[in-house]
Amino acid sequence: MAATKISDISWFHDFPPFFTLQPNLDTRRKQLDAWCSLLLEYCRLKKVCTFDVNDASKFPPFFNGKINRQLDNNFIQILLEELRSRGNIEWEDKNKRRCLIFWNSLEEWAKTVYQWITSRGMNRTVCTFYELLHGDDTRSADFHDIDPKLFRRILNELEKHGQATVFSENGADGVKFL
Amino acid sequence: MGGIFGRKSPKTSRQLEITEQDRAVLQLKQQRDLLNQNRRRIENQIDRGREVAKQLLKNGQQDRALLLLRKKKMLEMQLHKTEGILENVERMTHELEFAQVQATVVSSLRQGTDALKKMNELLKIDDIERLMEDSREAIEYQKEVSNLLAGGLNRVDEENIEAELEELIHAEEAREINRLPDVPENRQREHARKPVVSATRAKQRVLTEAD
Repeated sequence: MAATKISDISWFHDFPPFFTLQPNLDTRRKQLDAWCSLLLEYCRLKKVCTFDVNDASKFPPFFNGKINRQLDNNFIQILLEELRSRGNIEWEDKNKRRCLIFWNSLEEWAKTVYQWITSRGMNRTVCTFYELLHGDDTRSADFHDIDPKLFRRILNELEKHGQATVFSENGADGVKFL
Repeated sequence: MGGIFGRKSPKTSRQLEITEQDRAVLQLKQQRDLLNQNRRRIENQIDRGREVAKQLLKNGQQDRALLLLRKKKMLEMQLHKTEGILENVERMTHELEFAQVQATVVSSLRQGTDALKKMNELLKIDDIERLMEDSREAIEYQKEVSNLLAGGLNRVDEENIEAELEELIHAEEAREINRLPDVPENRQREHARKPVVSATRAKQRVLTEAD
């Protein structure tokens, strides 16, 4: 997975005009669509759950040394706003510097986690966050090693449906599934 | 989408209850996680120690290599101990979880028994006996009614019916006789002539007998 190259996800990334905001609105729409799917696919493969605007210049999809192109801040802002409007990112602070990335929607995530739990007969048992996120058993699960903040949001989503209850005891976070 | 609902929504009504046991299980599992982390750390240290010792031997620093190997041995013992504790913690967790399952089973069994008892209260033996008695009486009463209705007719028509039966039996007997096997075709021709003879003979016989 570490060997995945961005150009494997989308050939656009080697296409210089892709890095320039297109003036024609139709073209721009297609360009933004392509960028969004590229970013989400990249984050899915690399399990990137958070993004900090301050690190934008170090974020691999935003530049391509091979064709000597990189996104300017304005474009990045437009992209992030587009992703936010699609519900794929969520700002964590008022200054819009840090955000959570949802390459799956929260409902999809909740379904994935709950199906995993059910398939293992772990309903009505108590699990620690650690074992679900970093345990050997979840190694093949989509949610293995994702950001704890994102994981907590998924569990909150499950709580809304009454399928889980998050609680903590002496600083240890745990969850009980229905 | 979730961004709109940034503030945490109040607790939903369908929340799962967290029991004392759940909290105990969580604590145990957290201990297990810590031990697992500890184990991973020791394993890493051992691996690294072995690599460094190899390197040291290559460089001819036997003393330091020996020291490192001794440390590695100590770490291995610690790893062994950790694994022992881990096993204990896991067994404890399993037992606690299993006891919880058993408790729910017992409570459902108790509920079932209570429900059965309630049902049994509805079905008292005396009541059932009385009920059966009543229904027997009702059935008998019903029989009597139908006897009265049907029986009246019977007495009047009894003889007629018997006569009809008799008639039917006779008719049946008569049909039995008629149902004798047919005479085969080729012999029928012979018969066609013979009866004349036999008829006259019969007549003669009748006449002789009459004499």
